[in-house]
Amino acid sequence: MPVSPLMTQPPTSAKPQPEPPQVELPARKRPIASVGPANASGGQYPVIDAIKRGETPEPRRHESVMGVPSILEVRDFQLWYGQNKALHGVTMPIAEGKITSIIGPSGCGKSTLLRSVNRLNDLVDGVRTAGSISLKGEDVYARGVDVISLRKRLGMVFQKPNPFPMSIFENVVYALRISGERRKSVLEAACEKALRQAALWDEVKDRLKSSAMGMSGGQQQRLCIARAIVCEPQVLLLDEPCSALDPIATLRIEELILEIGQRYTVLIVTHNMQQAARVSDFTAFMYLGRLVEYGRTADIFQLPRLRETEDYVTGRFG
Amino acid sequence: MAGSFAEFRRRTFSSIMFGLCAAGSALIISILLLVIGYLAWIGVSSLSWEFLAAVPTGDVANPGGMRHAIDGTIILVGLASAVGVPLGVLAGIYLSEYPSEYAATGPLRFIADVLTGVPSIVVGILGYELVVVPVSRWTDSAVSFSGYAGAAALAFIMIPIVARTTEEMLRLVPQSYREGSLALGATRAQTIFRVVLPGAFGGVATGIMLAMGRIAGETAPLLFTALGSRLLTHNPAEPFPSLTLQIYTYATGPYPEQKRLAWAGILVLLAMLFVVNLSIRLIAARHARTRVGT
Ligand SMILES: Nc1ncnc2c1ncn2[C@@H]1O[C@H](COP(=O)(O)OP(=O)(O)O)[C@@H](O)[C@H]1O
Ligand SMILES: [Mg+2]
Repeated sequence: MPVSPLMTQPPTSAKPQPEPPQVELPARKRPIASVGPANASGGQYPVIDAIKRGETPEPRRHESVMGVPSILEVRDFQLWYGQNKALHGVTMPIAEGKITSIIGPSGCGKSTLLRSVNRLNDLVDGVRTAGSISLKGEDVYARGVDVISLRKRLGMVFQKPNPFPMSIFENVVYALRISGERRKSVLEAACEKALRQAALWDEVKDRLKSSAMGMSGGQQQRLCIARAIVCEPQVLLLDEPCSALDPIATLRIEELILEIGQRYTVLIVTHNMQQAARVSDFTAFMYLGRLVEYGRTADIFQLPRLRETEDYVTGRFG
Repeated sequence: MAGSFAEFRRRTFSSIMFGLCAAGSALIISILLLVIGYLAWIGVSSLSWEFLAAVPTGDVANPGGMRHAIDGTIILVGLASAVGVPLGVLAGIYLSEYPSEYAATGPLRFIADVLTGVPSIVVGILGYELVVVPVSRWTDSAVSFSGYAGAAALAFIMIPIVARTTEEMLRLVPQSYREGSLALGATRAQTIFRVVLPGAFGGVATGIMLAMGRIAGETAPLLFTALGSRLLTHNPAEPFPSLTLQIYTYATGPYPEQKRLAWAGILVLLAMLFVVNLSIRLIAARHARTRVGT
């Protein structure tokens, strides 16, 4: 029974292309769960209208998110770039050990909020802040705070993968090196652990000494995650970590975020609603520098209290 | 008809312009080839093991070699670089990495640019007035021409060049490297020396090599500082030989055998510059490779 060789070989072009899992989004015509008195004005989006008028309406913070133990407390935090106010009194706790995502249209201050946590905004000329952000009860903007040691307690991954122009190994252990760690055994153990946690170990274990610049974009981003977690940060800050990646690399990073979320507190900015729905426990919706609604991810996506939130997460507005 | 005439005019104009450009390039290349060919023709015939190994004999009919001048140039460039490279690189870091509000980088950059354009004879006079004369006074000697004074003059030329190229190269390093490093808790200095400077290594090295090539070919700054010497000396406290000074002396002198040595000296100098330039290219190419993916 001769079998054609063509039949035995799967077509080479049919590489499985994993589709990102679709999340059940609310149906279009589902009635809005709760319409607050702010809607009485008759406008379609009263909260957004108020924000556009320059007001800062009280955000809808669900009880479910206010009740959980928090590691990070943002309290009435405001930030100005020169004359331009980018954050208007944001108040939100970040749940310890959970994944919290921040969504909102481009320019609404998501990155600004994230970079305020590790005080990376200090580098920008003319930045002023008011209010407070506390990490484990310590105000990071208090006088005399050691910004260097603060940043060592936080990990950050940026929009565009930014591995340093050095070997993969040196990238991962960078945070240890700058703290003065020289022992080879310690560095090697930490490197392997971080790379394993970043699901990169098997791919790079044989070329740790080669340049990180030769890796693919997705690998580079996982390397950046490994680099950010090598010192076991108290909070991992991710600023649109997948926006420069293709769908498959994105999927891998999302899986990784879910896994890392079991060990670390993760605060992730994304403009991809599906991503927020897939990876996070809590979701905050921001608009023009204000927090609009904040609650459990399932609630934000399926039972939002504001019509604004519902229409934003379903892509009808924003 | 009119259309095709316009077309014809356009094509003719285009051909004429192309012809002119090609002719200009050909002219420049042939002049270059002529110069190099002529140098090689005359120089190679005088180039010998003796030229590279021997020192001047004092006998005008049989003048010996230029070992002293080759060593002198290498030592002068080395000394000048030992001072000029660190200072230039540090100045470049300052210009690029520290915000202009409190670091007054604007005026500094302007001064560096002006210094880059100072004629080298002026640097020579400065070296004489600011190094040679004061040293003579302190040591109560006649006139203290020295290799140190020559190296100082060369370093003076080198610093602004290295500073400005370093600055430009550091500016090319993506801001995301700096943010990535600072976000991991690195200090500004750690960020500069561990990430930014290595990231610009190829560019900075290229700038350094260019500056070394430039000072290796300088004569004027050495005229009143190192002065030149017919002796093989490795002591920069003495009047010091250099290839350029020796070429100048021999070429402007009356003796044909010395003139032949000058030609050979020019060839050796050019060969040295060629090697330096080649290394620049190699470094730049390697640099481009290691930066793939940024
Ligand atoms: N370095 C900066 N200097 C001045 N304005 C800035 C800077 N970074 C961001 N902004 C402004 O702050 C606002 C919020 O920006 P950003 O936090 O980057 O938004 P997002 O990340 O949500 O897209 C925008 O209006 C933006 O123009
Ligand atoms: Mg952003």
